Amino acid sequence: MLKTFFQHRMTELSLTIIFIVGFGILVATSHGILLHRNSLQGFLTYLAVPIVIGMAQMVVLCIGQMNLAVGAMGGVSSGVMAVLMAQHHYPIWLALLIGFLVATGVGAINGALVVLTQLNGFIITLGTMTILLGFQYRLVRSFTIDAYPISLPNFGAKSVLGFPLILMIAIATSVLLSLFFSRTATGRRVLATGGNALAARLSGVSNNRSVLIAHTLSGALVGVASIITIASLPGINRSIGGDWMLSSFAAPIIGGVLMAGGTVAVYGTIVAAGVVRLVDIARAQYSLDPSIVSLTVGVVVLSTVALSEWRRRRSERAREGMKVSR
Amino acid sequence: MSVASKTKTVISDQRVILLVLTVVLFLFFGFKNSAFFNTDFVLYPLLRDGAVLTVIGLAQLCALSIGHLNLAVGRMAAVSALAAGSAYQYLHFSLVPGVIVGLLTGSVLGAVTGLIIVKSQVNAFIVTLAMDFALLGFVTFIYVTFTGATAAFITKPKGMDYWRNTSLHQYCIAKLCGPAVFPMMLIPAIFALALVGFLFARTKLGRELLATGSNLRAAKLSGIPVDRRVIIAHTFSGLLAALAGVMLAFTNGSFTAAIGSQFMLPSFLGPVLGGTLLVGGSVAVLGTFIGTMLTLVIRQGLSVQGIGLETLNIALGLVLLTALSLGQIQKMLLSLRMRGRG
Repeated sequence: MLKTFFQHRMTELSLTIIFIVGFGILVATSHGILLHRNSLQGFLTYLAVPIVIGMAQMVVLCIGQMNLAVGAMGGVSSGVMAVLMAQHHYPIWLALLIGFLVATGVGAINGALVVLTQLNGFIITLGTMTILLGFQYRLVRSFTIDAYPISLPNFGAKSVLGFPLILMIAIATSVLLSLFFSRTATGRRVLATGGNALAARLSGVSNNRSVLIAHTLSGALVGVASIITIASLPGINRSIGGDWMLSSFAAPIIGGVLMAGGTVAVYGTIVAAGVVRLVDIARAQYSLDPSIVSLTVGVVVLSTVALSEWRRRRSERAREGMKVSR
Repeated sequence: MSVASKTKTVISDQRVILLVLTVVLFLFFGFKNSAFFNTDFVLYPLLRDGAVLTVIGLAQLCALSIGHLNLAVGRMAAVSALAAGSAYQYLHFSLVPGVIVGLLTGSVLGAVTGLIIVKSQVNAFIVTLAMDFALLGFVTFIYVTFTGATAAFITKPKGMDYWRNTSLHQYCIAKLCGPAVFPMMLIPAIFALALVGFLFARTKLGRELLATGSNLRAAKLSGIPVDRRVIIAHTFSGLLAALAGVMLAFTNGSFTAAIGSQFMLPSFLGPVLGGTLLVGGSVAVLGTFIGTMLTLVIRQGLSVQGIGLETLNIALGLVLLTALSLGQIQKMLLSLRMRGRG
């Protein structure tokens, strides 16, 4: 146990160092422009969404499943918020609440379908993703919806001591999530299911309930990400959520979440999201092609997966004999 | 034995139901709007798309046979098309060698994926997902770097137009000509169907793949080199994905980064509707073809009715979820009936 604990800290520690060094290099090569108020603000503001969608993916990864629909759920939920405010003149809080509940509800449906069919969440969310993309298109069409009250973007642009408010929301959400997994019985049960479903069942944990909770929680986090999105972007169109998938996986995987389930790494996910964001900034700074970002992130994810799992399995195999994965 | 034969009847039933459903829907759409029966604009493209998607379904089926998933089918197709396209563009390869370059690329990618899965013992869906991310960046990067604004290899090898545009209609025996609705593209698809069908139905290798899929441990204990079988399954998957990618590039007439980006959903729809189990151990090769055709009939039929892309997506997603739930209900009924008997 102590060893795995150390391994986790290792990932988080090295990521932090990479983040600091990378940030330093970018500041140096940009002659300090990155430290200017506006660019720093931009860097931190657009870090909020990757953190929260990374969390949304993390809670599903921790039960050994995945949620392919994060992007489509976010697209639909932010679309609902925008349409309610701009076309039906709902008050902001109500529109945001309904959008949040839509995302949470879709998450619950995902969970229920996984429990019903007993299949991996991957294929179920592939189905719901397709359906949601259809709904997103119907909802938003090819317009950009931005006719909502000015107080929302104003709220999104607020910052306290140079620290964007929405990034604080993202970090507060992560802290709550971290507390959920470390301090509550429900959170630990979910982790137990992810770690070893059979053992969890034998010790009285309802795996179905864990699956339902994880997917619903994932939906709720996507709801939070949608609120952040609508508050920080100038308008909502149908491209929202289209590029969420890679970053939702990249942050938790690089951050040290074991892909087989059973662990969460909230801090690691946040720092990893920061590192991915640095790659993005570097691309803009050296005016490279956008594809270089996905190439870099993809290669890093692939090697992280291979390395960390190989290391873990090697120590596990030594203990368990021939336990084999499906 | 009775369990096995029972499962078999259920699966073959599913294929028959699927076929009937496809034909009924086909006729329904046709009678609702006779434009659906138009050979040149509807049926020929339908069958040509069907050929490509059947092959990508088979690529997924090879991974499913051992209980794995291949989320990188689309991107493997893209990289293979990229390899073939650059061979035509820069090395001036003729048609067949270029295709072979593409197929080899796909096989190597598949083999590497299989090797990573075996060596790291990580779930296949995670390795293939990570592979997908890495290849996604790679493909876009290469196209943008080498071809600039066009972002495509546009050199057409001699004979490419023949494969994409013609049908069996030009082949005549005496006065009897082949049907104009039969695209040449269907020929490689039928070839692939026959080979994969033969592999799983008749060869020792195929049976060993299925055994690996249905119970890895039992397969290992009975002396099947499961690691090697896993690598082989993924190699086949990569090979077939490459074939589909090259076929799509031929159909489109150019090699672009967009090839394969729409492959993920169809690659699952075909096999799953056809009755391939997601947990491994059972495949439905012909079912993949019928399942693919069913989804295409739904897609084309709805779009001929003037129904937009968004509704198509909703319909296809619902079809997938229904098929998955039906499979589960079927399994529950089966176990209930067996319990009643035992």
